[in-house]
Amino acid sequence: MRKITLFLLSSLLFSMTIYAGGYQVRLQGNKQNGMGLVGTSLNMGSSSIFYNPGALSLMKDKFHFELGASGIMSNVDFQRAGSNENYQTDNPLSTPFYVYGAGKINDMIAVGVGVYTPYGSTSKWDENWTGRLLIETIALKAIFVQPTISFNFNEKFGIGAGFILAMGDVKINKDLNYSGDAEANLEGSTTSYGFNIGAFYKASEKLAFGVDYRSEIMMKMKDGDATFTVPAALQTTIPKDNKFDAELPLPANLDFSISYQATEQLLLAFELDWVMWGTYKSLDFTFKEQGALLNSTNPREYKDTFIPRIGAQYKLNDQFQLRAGMYYDQSPTNEKYFTPETVSLNTFAYTLGLSYSPIEKLSIDVSFLQLFGQTAEKEYTPSNFKGTYQTIVYIPGIGVSFKL
Amino acid sequence: MKIRYLFYLALLAFIVSCKPEVNEFTPSNGSADFKTYVALGNSLTAGYADGALYKSGQSYSWSNILGQQLTTVGGQPFVQPVVTSEFGVLPGKRKLGFSVDCLGVTSLGPVLDNGELDPWSTHVDYAVNNVGVPGAKVAHLLAPGYGNAANLQAGLANPYFVKFAASPDISVVAQAMSMSPTFFSLWIGNNDVLGYATSGGAGDVITPTEQFGQYYNMLAQTLVTGGAKGVLANIPGVINTAFFTTIPSDVIDIPDSPEGQGYLAILNGEHGYAPYNAFMESKGLPYRITFSIGPNQMVIQDPAMASYGLPAQLQIRQMVEGELALLTLPQDSIKCATWGSAVPVPNQYILTQAEIDNINAATIAFNNIIKQTADDNGLAFVDFNAIMVDISANGLIFDGITFSTKFVTGNLFSLDGIHLTPQGNAVVANYFIDAINGQYGAQIPKVSVANYPPILFP
Repeated sequence: MRKITLFLLSSLLFSMTIYAGGYQVRLQGNKQNGMGLVGTSLNMGSSSIFYNPGALSLMKDKFHFELGASGIMSNVDFQRAGSNENYQTDNPLSTPFYVYGAGKINDMIAVGVGVYTPYGSTSKWDENWTGRLLIETIALKAIFVQPTISFNFNEKFGIGAGFILAMGDVKINKDLNYSGDAEANLEGSTTSYGFNIGAFYKASEKLAFGVDYRSEIMMKMKDGDATFTVPAALQTTIPKDNKFDAELPLPANLDFSISYQATEQLLLAFELDWVMWGTYKSLDFTFKEQGALLNSTNPREYKDTFIPRIGAQYKLNDQFQLRAGMYYDQSPTNEKYFTPETVSLNTFAYTLGLSYSPIEKLSIDVSFLQLFGQTAEKEYTPSNFKGTYQTIVYIPGIGVSFKL
Repeated sequence: MKIRYLFYLALLAFIVSCKPEVNEFTPSNGSADFKTYVALGNSLTAGYADGALYKSGQSYSWSNILGQQLTTVGGQPFVQPVVTSEFGVLPGKRKLGFSVDCLGVTSLGPVLDNGELDPWSTHVDYAVNNVGVPGAKVAHLLAPGYGNAANLQAGLANPYFVKFAASPDISVVAQAMSMSPTFFSLWIGNNDVLGYATSGGAGDVITPTEQFGQYYNMLAQTLVTGGAKGVLANIPGVINTAFFTTIPSDVIDIPDSPEGQGYLAILNGEHGYAPYNAFMESKGLPYRITFSIGPNQMVIQDPAMASYGLPAQLQIRQMVEGELALLTLPQDSIKCATWGSAVPVPNQYILTQAEIDNINAATIAFNNIIKQTADDNGLAFVDFNAIMVDISANGLIFDGITFSTKFVTGNLFSLDGIHLTPQGNAVVANYFIDAINGQYGAQIPKVSVANYPPILFP
């Protein structure tokens, strides 16, 4: 029974859809989700493990736990250049999640651990779609485990750091231009390391500042499994079973944030996230056998992006809190190298949230996001693949937080 | 209170059900009328591939692909004179398969694909939009009786046209006009040089330019009489096709081994070409035949050397860089019967530089006429000659598919090395669409090349 549950969890929880900005997913707390994903200058409890470890030692409660997930429903429509042929993705529901637990050792030190999923991408195009020689399905998953320690100098200023253990895997399927059902399947997994550091400064009862840096993590795939299905006559040239190496960067983030308690009820927050996508230059595959024929270098040439966010929280009464926010997420993609594997358009999003506390210790947090990818004609020049993309994404989420 | 929640719920459901929709392209006919499209031409228009006109190959003809796209801008269904056999009307269809050569080496390559042919008794008795006839030259489209079975014996009729000619003495162009076309494509002239080229300059003659111009103009004038608009395409340099570029001229490879050294001594010795070289020197002629270890140019027959008063057995020489061997050259004869070294390769398998010059000159002259005709009549025009030169030099990539002029692996030419693969036909159809859209301000949707089959591997 436990095995089955674990299996269900792994198949359900670990798969994620792109929703904006490359393959980053920032749904790491349902309170923050409701506020335009602002979090670095907020002190919402144990979710500070992700948003700002510096705030953790300043949390109000002795112990704090959070658990939650979101369901990403993403739809992409593609129209081939010079034609009225449209193709859609049939992306499965993907469910990024988070679990945090933190406790104060004394007034100055807090420790905690978080498990969360900040990167992922699942695109599933129709098996007969026009770009199937570029990509048919891709599933990229990463799960982070982060033990964290936080220290405050006084009631106003805290710093914190976490060590990140990152486990990732990737599955890629695409067709090959041979007769029959010729295709390539690549599958690999890897473990890597990184860190998350932050500082939190509560300047006054009303004003707080936060800054947080999460390091780049290079996911290096070694000896992944490659399976090629080709006509019999070609099997000596393209062996069925092969191994491949590849690496994919999970970019660094530097987040700046300010929050302001305007009235007793109203909290306003602003944030600017610098996502260092510039590190993603190229996706290269190196094969163990027949490398001269099969190796490929696929330029991506991403650029850094800056995401402005704004969020608000309104305390209706002791039971209810309402939230809203919005943000604009630039596409990090390059004009010449936009691929249908990660349909990342300039995206505008609004967010809504609600918390309900039936008892003082417990809060049920729900959020809803809607993302609109700006319609744009894009091209992947190395394959001469061109067309217009549009995306709409809905993300409902639910979580609970519990304090002692 | 409850009603309000219901309202919110309904609003949420509405928001969630809204899907992205891209609608950037609206098909339109521009200033042309595509109601009745008729395609005139040769084997390329007919849908000939892999050495035959067969059922599925015909269904992937570029003209059929174009005809289907035109139905989105007011065109009526495009009807082809359907071939019912997968093996064609005449034998000769190729497929990729394994064969064992004279040395006992098994390799993958084109092999004959024999099967039950299209029955001769069946005559296409419905009106067709595709009147492309494999083998037709420009003059043939004007010739009455080109589809009359009684003329086959005399070589004045074409079996493919016999299959679908509306009446025995109708000409191809007259049959096209009987459809009252509102739009036409005319891609003709290839065979006016190709027949000469594929016979190694030995079995056919290039149509004289003046005649070509006269016939071509007659065709175009007839086609536009009813006010029809159309598209013309020129002749791609045939010598860029895989048929002429696959077998290198220096295919005689003498290994650095005792056997190779021995063979070399014979070839260069008194029982080989030494007397030939001495004779040529004595006559003051520049011809020499010498072999060395490694790749060597083939020895060929060159009847043009008769102009030096040489007897037939001395009208031979080694090929020079730039001359071409045809795909039809029997490989086993090279490997096991000393063709190209001890035995000169017969003329019909080779294009000499003089023959290539003739072909190039004719292609340029014909293409000038075609371009002029397009300009004079305000017709759309596709410059396949330039396209072919470009693909030959740089290759082409489309939806992740790489094309080149290489045989089999290039994916552009089918297994006969001249006609197109289905994906090649789709590329060609898109070039036609670009030209038509440009000339008439139309918006004909282009096809997805990836939706068409590549070369089939066993």
